[in-house]
Amino acid sequence: MRKTLIILTGFVCSAKAFAVARFPKPDFTSGYEYPDIVHSVPSELFWNILDVVLLICMMGLVVWAAYRKRSRSVILSMSLVSVAYFGFFRSGCVCSVGSIQNVVMAAVDPGYSLPWYVLLLFLIPIVFALLFGRVFCSGVCPLGALQELINVRNFRLSRAVSATLSVIPWIYMAFTILYAATRSQFLICRLDPFIGIFRLGGDIGIMCFGIILLIMSLFVGRPFCQFLCPYGALLSVFSALSWKKLEITGKGCINCALCGVSCPVDAIRAPQLSRTKEDRSRGVKRIILFVILLPLLTFSGAVLLGSQSDALSLAHKDVYLYEQLLSQEANPQQEEPLEVETFHALGGDMEALKEKVDSIRDEYERYAYMAGALIGFVIGFKLLKLSLKRSRKTYEIDMARCTMCGKCFNYCPQNLKTSKLHTDEKTVS
Amino acid sequence: MSDRKNDKLKSPMDRRNFLRTCSSILAGGAALLSGGFLATKASGREGEVFWQIDSYRCTACGRCETDCVLSVSAVKCFHANRVCGYCDLCGGYYRPNVKELNTAAENMMCPTGAIRREFVEEPYFEYTIDEALCTGCGKCVKGCTSFGNGSLFLQIDQERCQQCNECAIARVCPSDAIERVSYDNAYKLKDHA
Repeated sequence: MRKTLIILTGFVCSAKAFAVARFPKPDFTSGYEYPDIVHSVPSELFWNILDVVLLICMMGLVVWAAYRKRSRSVILSMSLVSVAYFGFFRSGCVCSVGSIQNVVMAAVDPGYSLPWYVLLLFLIPIVFALLFGRVFCSGVCPLGALQELINVRNFRLSRAVSATLSVIPWIYMAFTILYAATRSQFLICRLDPFIGIFRLGGDIGIMCFGIILLIMSLFVGRPFCQFLCPYGALLSVFSALSWKKLEITGKGCINCALCGVSCPVDAIRAPQLSRTKEDRSRGVKRIILFVILLPLLTFSGAVLLGSQSDALSLAHKDVYLYEQLLSQEANPQQEEPLEVETFHALGGDMEALKEKVDSIRDEYERYAYMAGALIGFVIGFKLLKLSLKRSRKTYEIDMARCTMCGKCFNYCPQNLKTSKLHTDEKTVS
Repeated sequence: MSDRKNDKLKSPMDRRNFLRTCSSILAGGAALLSGGFLATKASGREGEVFWQIDSYRCTACGRCETDCVLSVSAVKCFHANRVCGYCDLCGGYYRPNVKELNTAAENMMCPTGAIRREFVEEPYFEYTIDEALCTGCGKCVKGCTSFGNGSLFLQIDQERCQQCNECAIARVCPSDAIERVSYDNAYKLKDHA
């Protein structure tokens, strides 16, 4: 046996790297029996059902706390539960934010079967947003809840800065869709800043990014939710059109401006009464200008990103491998990267790969145009929205921005009065 | 003039409300439609959420050890006893061209000593993997597939795997050996024969 092995090592270089029965099955005479090793697969079914049920229950509780009780403490305790359960215990995967990619992939790739609970994780927060606003962001999303829990001060960003930054989630979204639709990578999962914290370990760069975001969220309300989260951007569209509107107080606003100071995400709009009204024709002209600008921006965005599709397609593994192979061919004396080595070791077919790469590049071109159009449209739409001036008599919540943290409830003196009255009554009785 | 102005003060609000209601209905309809469309794509059971290595494609490049999101990779070496030749000079146990067959560290293939062997009968030895020590580096797998029967192979331990939405190893796997599998195919074992 030993001898044959040593001989074998001589010509092993030519041997294929697959399982070959080089040695016959041993005939045991001592009555040896093969051990039975069982590898168990934990069924996630129970946890998936629990996730969905908890998601619905927690969102229901937040709705009740925000609309009925106007209580921040319930929302805060939901945040704690969410960080503990969805964050640390379930280690943050699969989340609603990331489910965008699964949904895109299911829509594009007929071979991919979307797990039912991922679909639910994607849809339920949207349904709630259509009914009540961004309930999910409030105290149910572990990423938002984590930032909410450690937030102490709110340094206000100027409206121009925050409006500019709020385009970033849509750019992020456009690239996410582009990469998910071409099956290149799951960008959201890769760049998730807090997953490393929930898992207590991970990619060091991303962990640092997460920690910087957390330090920022001490002083600025929810930087990730406001300026990065693509799912938050999606929810804000539905939330802006929601059936119910959140009100700071049920007793009528007295324009004391306290709530506006309290809001961490700058979602409370001050009344606009005393300002001089601008000339109507000027306003109409401006709107017309921005309406014309909207398709222009959409078109130029599409052209701009579409023209870069070849460079973008390098994010796909096969395209990158193809480029590596080409550069290897052009410059054979350089050291072979592992991908190239493996490609040759597995007897890769260059022609087949080229065909594949061409079809991937076509796909990239198509989706890059779409993604560019989306970015252009969003920028145009944001400009249009900024140019509209609304008249308001009282402080109002901008449902698109509001993440339902409930801070303003406690600041509103109208709300305080009632609770104080209640306690007074209690002490008297 | 003042009457008209009063009318106008009222009318833009109504128009705005009308537009709002319309767009709400539009958004609701869009959500419903896309939900319905996606529901046709959804799978009944858990779907293909597990990640597993196709050991016939795997080249044991070593990235499983380094690229998993866990600090100790979820990838472990598995051993198919029914494929194993039970050799004394095992390509997965000893480094190539060792001078003496003993358990001195410089002779051992496994850097963590996760492969244990036990004498069965002349000339056979039984090999077992201590999964707690295995780091999934694949050195033994490489040795076994090139010198032996290929009974050692890498698999993702489903009890350790976090089932990330996107497997960090699959993203860098040079042979595209990691794929999404369903619950029923969560392992791709070699010793079903």
